[in-house]
Amino acid sequence: MINRPLFLLIAAIPALAQPYRAPRTANGQPDLQGIWQAQTTASYDIEAHAAKLGMPAGLGIVVGGQIPYTAEAAAKRRQNFQNRATADPNNKCFLPGVPRANYLPLPFQIFQTTKDVAILYEYVHAYRLIRMDGKHPEDVDFWMGDSRGHWDGDTLVVDVSDNNDQTWLDASGNFHSDALHVVERYTRTGPDTIGYEATIEDPKVFTKPWKISLSLYRQTGKNLQLMEYDCYAYEEPSK
Amino acid sequence: MKTILLGLFLSITALAQTPGPQERNIEKPAVKAGPMPRGTDGKPDFQGVWEVRNPGGAAAYDVEDHLKEVYGIRPGKGVIVDPKDGKIPYLPAAAQRKQDLVAHHMYDDPEAQCFLSGIPRQVYAPFGFQILQPAHYVLFLFENFHAYRVIPTDGRPHLPADIKTFDGDSRGRWDGDTLVVDVTNQNDKTWFDMAGNFHSDAIHVVERYTPVDANTISYKATIEDPKTFTRPWTIAFPITRITRPDYEIMELACVEGERDLKHYTEGEGGANKK
Repeated sequence: MINRPLFLLIAAIPALAQPYRAPRTANGQPDLQGIWQAQTTASYDIEAHAAKLGMPAGLGIVVGGQIPYTAEAAAKRRQNFQNRATADPNNKCFLPGVPRANYLPLPFQIFQTTKDVAILYEYVHAYRLIRMDGKHPEDVDFWMGDSRGHWDGDTLVVDVSDNNDQTWLDASGNFHSDALHVVERYTRTGPDTIGYEATIEDPKVFTKPWKISLSLYRQTGKNLQLMEYDCYAYEEPSK
Repeated sequence: MKTILLGLFLSITALAQTPGPQERNIEKPAVKAGPMPRGTDGKPDFQGVWEVRNPGGAAAYDVEDHLKEVYGIRPGKGVIVDPKDGKIPYLPAAAQRKQDLVAHHMYDDPEAQCFLSGIPRQVYAPFGFQILQPAHYVLFLFENFHAYRVIPTDGRPHLPADIKTFDGDSRGRWDGDTLVVDVTNQNDKTWFDMAGNFHSDAIHVVERYTPVDANTISYKATIEDPKTFTRPWTIAFPITRITRPDYEIMELACVEGERDLKHYTEGEGGANKK
C-alpha cells in the first residue's frame, strides 16, 4: 500500500523545481501582454555606478559588470559622458532605440495577435512591430531597428537588426555603431514579471558580445493605460 | 513670405514623393474582393495594412473643397458629406480666425513641428498604417510620425476630462459590424489639414469604421465642438487595403530629421542664405 502523504510529497518536489509556466493566449502562445516597466536606474547608466549629481546609484544591468569596449570606443564613451547634457539623443526627444526603450523610466505595453507581437512605448510614442515572419530588409536603417521574432519554448526571442548609429544605450554616453545587432529574450518568470535579457554585439565598438539582464514588472490596477508623451511638443522651438 | 512658401513647398514635395498605389499594389486583384474576414470573436477582422487614397487623401490638404491652388495646396474635392455645401460650419468668430490663419499663420501647421496630428487628421495623413486586433483592443500603427492609437473595446471609461492630449482618448465598441470609436480629451493644438482648419479643446469625434469588402473600409467621422462650430459636421471616405503581399510599414521619424523649422524661425534669408 502506498503511503499517500509521502507519495504526494514526492510528486510535489519536481513541480516546485519547474520554472514558472506562462499563461497562454487564445491561440496558445505564452502570454506576455500587459503594461510593463523596468525598476532600475539603468536608464542613467547601464554599468554599475555610484551616485552623482542628478544620478542615483545603481548596480547596473550589464552581466559581468563592464562593457567590453575597444580602446578607441572607450575614449569616445568618456567623451560622450562629458557632453551628455547636449549629446544624449533622448534629451532631444529622439526615438530611443533598442534596448534602451525597455529600461526607460516609462511604461510600455505588449500586445499579441495571432500573427505578430507589438510593443508600444509611452516615451515619444515609439512602437515596434515584431514580425514573426519575413526577414530584415537590406540597406535601410531605423532608429528602433527592425525586429523579427520567434518562440523558443516559452521565450520570445527577437532579433533586432538595421539599427542606425544615432541612439545611445543610456544617459551616460554608452553607445554603439550601425553594426549593432541585438538578440532579446522575453520570458515570463511570474504572474507579474518578465525576465528580459539582451545580447549585444557590435564589432566596431565592442571586443566581444555582451549581455544585459533585468526584470520587467507589470503595472497592476484598474483601467490602466499608456499616456501620451509627445516629448518635443513641450519644448520651445529652436531659434 | 518667401521662406514660408519654401517650407510649404518642402512639405508638399514630401507628400508628392509618397509611394503611389501603383507601387504598393503591383497586382490588381483579378476578381472582386470577397467579404471582410472575421476574427474568432465573430467581429470583422480589419487586420492588415491600409491607406487613404483619393478622394480621402485630398483631405490632408484641405477637408473642404479647394478648387483653386492656394499656398501650394493642390486643388481637390473635400470630404465633408454633412452639411451638404461641403463647408465647415464655423461660428462667426471661428471663421474669422480661420481667415487669419490662412493669411498669416500657414507655417504654424502643427504637423510641420512634428506634433501628433490629432483625430481625425491622423487617419488621412499621408502614408500607410497597420491595424492590429489583439484581445480587447484595436490598434493603429501609423507610419506618419510613428504615431499609434490604442483603442480599448472593453467598455472602460474615458480619461478624466481635464487631461488633454494631441491624439485624445479613444474608446471603441461594436455596433453590429461597425467599429465605433469615441474620441475625447483632445487638446486645441492640432488642425484638420494643411489649410488651417482648426478646432478647440471641446472637440468630440465619433468615428465609424464599416466593412465594405475585404479590401475596403468605409470611414465616417462626426465632429462636434460647440466652441468652434454651429453644428456637428461629418466627413466620409473609403480606406483601402494595401494588397501588395510583402508590403511592410516603415519608420517615419519626424523630429529626428527636422529641417523645416529653421525655415520657419530664422526669417527672411536666414536658412536660405547661400
